Amino acid sequence: MEDLSLPKIDYAAVAPMLILFGVACVGVLFEGVLPKAARRVTQLVLALLGLVAALSVIVWQSDTRVLTAGGAVAIDGPTLFLQGAIIVLGIMALLLIGDRAMEHGGAFVAQAAITVGSEADRKQAVKEQGATEVYPLTVFAIAGMLLFVAANDLLTMFVALEVFSLPLYLLCALARRRRLLSQEAALKYFLLGAYASAFFLFGVALVYGFAGGVEFGTIHDSVTESTQSTVLLYAGLAMIAIGLLFKAAAAPFHVWTPDVYQGAPTPITGLMAACTKVAAFGGLLRVLYVGFDGVAWDYTPILGVVAVLTMLIGAVLAVTQTDIKRLLAYSSIANAGYLLVGVLALSKDGLSSTMFYLVAYGFTVIAAFGVVTLVRDADGEATHLSRWAGLGRRSPLYAGIFTFILLAFAGIPLTSGFIAKFAVFGAALDSGEAWLVVFGVVTSMLLAFPYLRVVVMMWLSEPGESTPTVSIPGGLTAAALVIGVVATLVLGVAPAPLLDLTTSAADFVR
Amino acid sequence: MSLSPYVPIIGMFALAAGFAVMSVAIAPFLGPRRFNKAKLAAYECGIEPSPEPIGGGRVPVKFYLTAMLFIVFDIEIIFLYPWAVSFDSLGLFGFVEMLLFIGTVFIAYAYVWRRGGLDWD
Amino acid sequence: MSTGEAVTFWILVWPALVGAIGMVLARNAIHSALWLVLTMLSIGVFYVLQSAPFIGMAQIIVYTGAIMMLFLFVLMLVGRDASDSLIETLRGQRVAAVLLGIGFAAMVGTGVYRAMDNVTPAGLEQANAQGNVEGIARLLFTKYVFAFEVTSALLITAAVGAMVLAHKERRKGEKRGQPETMRARFYPGNYPGPKPGPGVYATSDSVATPGRLPDGTLTDRSISKILPVRELTSSESAPKGTEK
Repeated sequence: MEDLSLPKIDYAAVAPMLILFGVACVGVLFEGVLPKAARRVTQLVLALLGLVAALSVIVWQSDTRVLTAGGAVAIDGPTLFLQGAIIVLGIMALLLIGDRAMEHGGAFVAQAAITVGSEADRKQAVKEQGATEVYPLTVFAIAGMLLFVAANDLLTMFVALEVFSLPLYLLCALARRRRLLSQEAALKYFLLGAYASAFFLFGVALVYGFAGGVEFGTIHDSVTESTQSTVLLYAGLAMIAIGLLFKAAAAPFHVWTPDVYQGAPTPITGLMAACTKVAAFGGLLRVLYVGFDGVAWDYTPILGVVAVLTMLIGAVLAVTQTDIKRLLAYSSIANAGYLLVGVLALSKDGLSSTMFYLVAYGFTVIAAFGVVTLVRDADGEATHLSRWAGLGRRSPLYAGIFTFILLAFAGIPLTSGFIAKFAVFGAALDSGEAWLVVFGVVTSMLLAFPYLRVVVMMWLSEPGESTPTVSIPGGLTAAALVIGVVATLVLGVAPAPLLDLTTSAADFVR
Repeated sequence: MSLSPYVPIIGMFALAAGFAVMSVAIAPFLGPRRFNKAKLAAYECGIEPSPEPIGGGRVPVKFYLTAMLFIVFDIEIIFLYPWAVSFDSLGLFGFVEMLLFIGTVFIAYAYVWRRGGLDWD
Repeated sequence: MSTGEAVTFWILVWPALVGAIGMVLARNAIHSALWLVLTMLSIGVFYVLQSAPFIGMAQIIVYTGAIMMLFLFVLMLVGRDASDSLIETLRGQRVAAVLLGIGFAAMVGTGVYRAMDNVTPAGLEQANAQGNVEGIARLLFTKYVFAFEVTSALLITAAVGAMVLAHKERRKGEKRGQPETMRARFYPGNYPGPKPGPGVYATSDSVATPGRLPDGTLTDRSISKILPVRELTSSESAPKGTEK
């Protein structure tokens, strides 16, 4: 038997992932060896340093276009752009996760194993500092997302999917307040996520049966050239798409979203809404653009229906919500629909506009959940919409910020939301997908209604007895808010640099 | 690969199984039967057999941790299997890869150990 | 199929089928899981028969060994008596399940039927050219080395997750040291000596039978608190041989 050798690995190109995995491992080790008092600061600094280091490497490597590690990892324009986006949004989410100014001990429970509602639980809720395992887990999740958008074969993609999902399931269960709701959310997310992963894996097996390989290059070749029955191909692609659309929260695979977004600790909800969305669409883009572009004519109508359904369900159900986190969850579902419109343009413009949308939406949505962490009363966050009435009188600054964020969601000009929607709809029109754009515009108008209702409530109602206070944010949350709001504004006023960047990055290697 | 060399082994298995079954089956007919009350009572480690407790007797959750750790290292072992089989052709880089893998999984072990996950009480 | 393969198949097909049927029919969840173990072990051997020793070993070591054990543990955590409630929470669920089940069975049946006649395995020769396990090693340690190493992150996450969700950390001072134990033992009101032995007679082998104090009265202290006290009839508690 011949001797084997290690495939050539471009270590500089995969360095961001290696750094983050290394940092997460060191973080877990620190959890074991450091004294309790020193953990939080060390972990936060370590995680932030790791993310910044990874981001610097990405900037340094921005011209790399290479298939590496035996063809399993593709470092190309979209990979680098999306990895950079995930890291920047991950830093913002980490700032929210690390803040302990609004609540004693932070948003996370100290010991999740203690029975909810027991004497020990009440004691730890008041006294104990939150668990610090959340930092390495977050870094693991972000590292997995980096690999997910870079994976050049379905097997690596599946491993990356699990690596970023598993920490998220855990993080969902660790809320300090309303922990039963949080555990229920984690359980639902885990069970449905496991089903989605199973679908993905089954799809990979069927596609392997069709193409004889799981690399996107091999799949692309056999999709265009193979003469055998396409049953395996279509069934496999459908199942892979189910797995990815579940993570992207597209209808009809969206049902977990409101419950999980509501139950999870709010900083984690921000992380999921921004980073998971980038990762899921990054994976979807690569699967559809690189692997299966040969059958684009066949999957476009089906995914188009999914996109329309997603936009409609997100927009219509957002109107009926009475909880701000659920409202944002349905808004996130609708946004997944708009993103799908961009994806289905199936052109360079479609790719670049989708990437722009992901970044613009990510900044805004993390800022939105940042504000949600601030509005609180004695029982924690006051998320019921009725409690937000009159907030404008009580705290004009934060009500103003939230109003601006909602306007960005609604796609009002001078916000990033407008430019992003304009870009994806434009790309879809150019590719002749006018029907998607029609639904997109109609649901955008529909979706503006719940946003404006919140705005009207905040500004035009008198603050009542039950109107909660707006806490003074700690430095970390404030930083995340400033980044999010400034980015939303800048991308709305002067989007050209980022648009140019997405255009120059919009080339997959195969 | 032909499996015919295994036929004798299968025959041996059948013979062994047949002997075991036969021994149990004919024992009631051959052995003497002299019963008394204590002999007939069910014996369960000296404890009177009692109906199952309500809820079926729940096991403490710390067993879960043990089972999970077992799975983690079990999966590590299943990766060691192909590595050990083709160790010769993999050479040094395979060795380094495996060291890296084991070292990384060992971090989990160190964490669990230091945080008291391996203490029973 | 060679003779040996056929013989092994026909021996193991029965445990596999009986296990599968037993799993569905067993009332007790634990019995169900044990039936499943039987099926999975047989399937592991089938994999080996089909020239896939690696997946066969993985089936036996990981699935049957570890995952089924976790399964059993979880069943015991939930409680063995927690049987399914037969009330339908979703209307028409049972009908839909039956229809979908039949559909799925038809689909699988068709697939198997079509695979029966004259299908030659594609790529098996190449994949197993240097041996199945060696072939796995070749892919695992070269082409998919990145995915392989990243799997360790998955394992770490699993261990950390189990710790976070299931492990209660003891703070300093919660664990009772030797001096405290001794103080509690000799505290007034506590009986420091060993407990009297249970009243085990030749007529009853139960430790739940209370022992007797020197004055002939029964003592509860001889029985562990978690056991129900067994009331002996006079004939049972009488010394052996006196009934004659």
